[in-house]
Amino acid sequence: MTAPLRVAVAGNPNVGKTSLFNELTGLRHSVGNFAGVTVEVARGSVCSRFDVPRPIELFDLPGIYSLTATAEDERLAYRVLSGAGEVQPDVVLLVVDATSLARNLYLALQIRELGLPCVVALNMMDLARKAGLEIDVERLARELGLPIIETIASRARGLDAVVDALASNARRSHPWCVDVEDPLVERLSAQHGPAKARWLLTRAVVEGYAAERSELPVELAGGEAVRRAVIAIIERRYAEIDRILARAHSERRAIASPMTTSEKIDRVLTHRVAGPAVFMLVMTIVFQSMFAWAEPFMKAIEGVIGWTQGQVEVLLGEGILVDFISQGVLAGVGNVIVFVPQITLLFAFIGLLEDSGYMARAAFIVDRVMAKAGLSGSSFVPLLSGFACAIPAIMGTRTIRSFSARLVTMLMIPFVSCSARLPIYALLIGAFFDADRIVLGPFSLGGLMLLGMYGLSTFSALLVGFIYKRTIVRGPRLPLLIELPPYRLPRLRHILSKVWDRVRGFLRDTGTTILAATVVLWVMLSFPKPPDVELLDHSTPIEHSVGGRVGKAVEPALRPMGQDWRIGVAILGSFAAREVFVSTLGLVFGIENADGDDASLRERLREARDPRTNEPLYTPLSAMALMVFFVYAAQCMSTLAVVRRETRTWRWPIFMFCSMTAIAYVAAVVLYQLGSLFLSFVPVAFA
Amino acid sequence: MTDIGRARGLDRLPLHEPARITEVLGDGAVLVQLLEMGFVRGTEVEVIKRAPLGDPIELRLRGYHVSVRAQEARHVLVELLK
Repeated sequence: MTAPLRVAVAGNPNVGKTSLFNELTGLRHSVGNFAGVTVEVARGSVCSRFDVPRPIELFDLPGIYSLTATAEDERLAYRVLSGAGEVQPDVVLLVVDATSLARNLYLALQIRELGLPCVVALNMMDLARKAGLEIDVERLARELGLPIIETIASRARGLDAVVDALASNARRSHPWCVDVEDPLVERLSAQHGPAKARWLLTRAVVEGYAAERSELPVELAGGEAVRRAVIAIIERRYAEIDRILARAHSERRAIASPMTTSEKIDRVLTHRVAGPAVFMLVMTIVFQSMFAWAEPFMKAIEGVIGWTQGQVEVLLGEGILVDFISQGVLAGVGNVIVFVPQITLLFAFIGLLEDSGYMARAAFIVDRVMAKAGLSGSSFVPLLSGFACAIPAIMGTRTIRSFSARLVTMLMIPFVSCSARLPIYALLIGAFFDADRIVLGPFSLGGLMLLGMYGLSTFSALLVGFIYKRTIVRGPRLPLLIELPPYRLPRLRHILSKVWDRVRGFLRDTGTTILAATVVLWVMLSFPKPPDVELLDHSTPIEHSVGGRVGKAVEPALRPMGQDWRIGVAILGSFAAREVFVSTLGLVFGIENADGDDASLRERLREARDPRTNEPLYTPLSAMALMVFFVYAAQCMSTLAVVRRETRTWRWPIFMFCSMTAIAYVAAVVLYQLGSLFLSFVPVAFA
Repeated sequence: MTDIGRARGLDRLPLHEPARITEVLGDGAVLVQLLEMGFVRGTEVEVIKRAPLGDPIELRLRGYHVSVRAQEARHVLVELLK
C-alpha cells in the first residue's frame, strides 16, 4: 500500500479554500489541533469519486495573507509549510482568488521561496470572467513557474484536474526567490540561503529585533538597515507580482470588479445612520435567538433528562447506585447536552455572518466602540453572546485572529452576567426586597436592582479587559487590517458542517470534563450519608455530606460577607451550574426541587434565624453581597472546562477561577462591611 | 490644486481622492503587516468610506477593500494623484 500523498491546502481568507476542500473531501473530515496551537486544522481524504492513483490526504490550513507569522494562524501555516510541524506536506494546493490576483499572488511568491511543490487552483474564474478580467492562464503559469488549474469551487468545476495535478506534481522544485538589491539581504543570503535570509530579517522586524537576534549579525539587531532590507524585500515581491500581472492580464477592460455590487450594498450596510441600525438589528436577532429561541430546546433536553431520571428510579428502585446513575451521571450528561442548542445557534449565525461577508462590516462599524476597551470589533459578537451563556461565547472567540486579543476576550466573558445567574438574582431579590414596588416612573425596585447587577457586570467586564490588555496578556500589537470581502451567498451545507464540527468538538473535549465534574460534585454533596437517627435534630442529609462539612469549615471566611455555611454549600453546588445554587439551597432547607420562583424557599430564607441569638440569618444587605459575589465569581465548571479546551492549557482556567473568586470575595466583603457600617449610623429599614 | 504631490498621512486623505503611497513609516509587526497587505511605495489607494463613528476607514488598494484604523493609516504617507 502506498502512503497517502499529503497535501496542505493554503490560501488567503475568503477565496473559496474551504469550499474546495469540502468538495474534494465530500464534506468528510476530522478537525484537530497541532500540539501547542489553538488554531484548528481540518483533515480529510480526497473522496473516492475522483480517480486517484494513490490516496490523497488534505489539510485545510487557516486562511492567511502571508507566511511571516504575525498572527497565530500564520505561524501555524508557516510551521506546516516549512516542514517544522508534525506533518510535512508533499504538495501545497494554493487556492487563489482570480478576481484579486494583485494581492493573492503575494502568498504564492512566499510559497515558491520555500521550494515546496505547489499546484495553484485559480478559483472564482466565473466571477473573474463576469468582471471582465481576461487572464492568460498559460502565461501566468509560465511567469509564476507553477502549474495552474482553473476552478469554480462553488460549482465543483475543475476538481478532477486539481486532483490530477496534485498527483503528478509531487516533485520538489527549486526554491525561487526574487532578487533584492540590498547589501544586507545579499550578505545574509550567502550565509543562510536566500529564503531563510528573507524570513530571518522579516521576523527580526516583527519581533522587535529580539527573538531572532542570535541568528542575525549582532551589529544589525535593531538597526535601520534591517528595516530597510525588509521594506526592500516586500517591495520587490510586489514589483514581481505587478510584472507578472502586466503580462498575464492580456486584456484589461473597464473592470466591473465583484466589489461594485458590494459597494452598492455597503451604501446601506455601512451607512452612517443605516449601518449602525442594521448592525443593532442583526445583533438583537443573534442575542434573542440564544436567549429565547434556544430556551424550548434546552427545556426539552431538561425534560428528557428528568424523565429518564424518573424512569431509572422507577425501574431500578432506590439505592445509592440508582442515585449515582440518576443524580450523578444522567445529570452530568444533561449538564453537557443542555449547551448544544445555544452552541448550534451561535455558530450557525457566526457561519452565516462570516460566509456572507457581513462579519467584517460588523467589526468595521463597532470597532471604534471596542477600541475604547483596547479590543477590536471582532470581540463584539462573543462578548454579546456572553449575556446568554459563556460556553458558546468562549467558543465563539475563534473568530478573533490575534491570540492575545482572543485570550483577553475569553477572560472578560465570564464577568458578563449570563442567563444562568438570573434565577439566583430572582430568588434573592424576591426574598429580601419588595421587588414590585414602583420606585421610579415605570420601574420597579426589582427591575432596577436587576439592571444594576447587569450594569455592574458589563462595566466590570470592560474594565477587566482594559486592565488585562495592558498587563498580563500584552501580545505584540497587531494592526487591524480587516479585509472587507465581496458579499457572497452563504452556503448552508458548509455552515452546517462547521456547526457540527463545533458541537462534536464540544461534546468530545469539553463534555467529558463537565460530566466528570458533575459526578464528583454529586459525590461530595451526597456522602457520607447521615445515620437516620441524626435527622431527628432537624438537620438535612446534605449537612452531613463532604460538601456540607466543607461549607461549615469555610463559614468563618463567609461571615465577613454576611453569609453562613448554608450559603457556602449552595455556592459549592452551584459550581456544577450556577442555577444549581437554588436547588442546592433548597436541599439545605429540606425543600425538594426548588427553583428561582419558589415561594417557600424565599420565605425560609427570609425567616431563617440563628438559633442562638434569634437574629435573622440573612438580611437585604447580605443578599446584596451575595448577588455581587455571583456577579464576579467564576462559579461554573463548564466555563473553566471550555477555556481549558480553547487555550489548550489549565493555566488560564486556573487563573480565571482564582482571580474571579478573589475579586468576588473582596467585592462582597467590602459591600457588606461598608453597608453594615452605614446602617449602624443610619438605621433605616431599607427593604 | 496646490495639494497635489504633497505627502500626508493616509488617515488625512479625503474620500474618493485617488492617491499614491510614497512611504511607509513605523516599525515592528505593524510595519510588516502593512507592507505585506500591499501598502508598498507606488501603490494606488483610495479612501472609500469612514466608519459611522469616524474610525476605522475603508480603503481600496490592489483591487480589494480593507478596513484600517487611523492610528495605523497615519504610518502610510500618500500624495494625491490627478
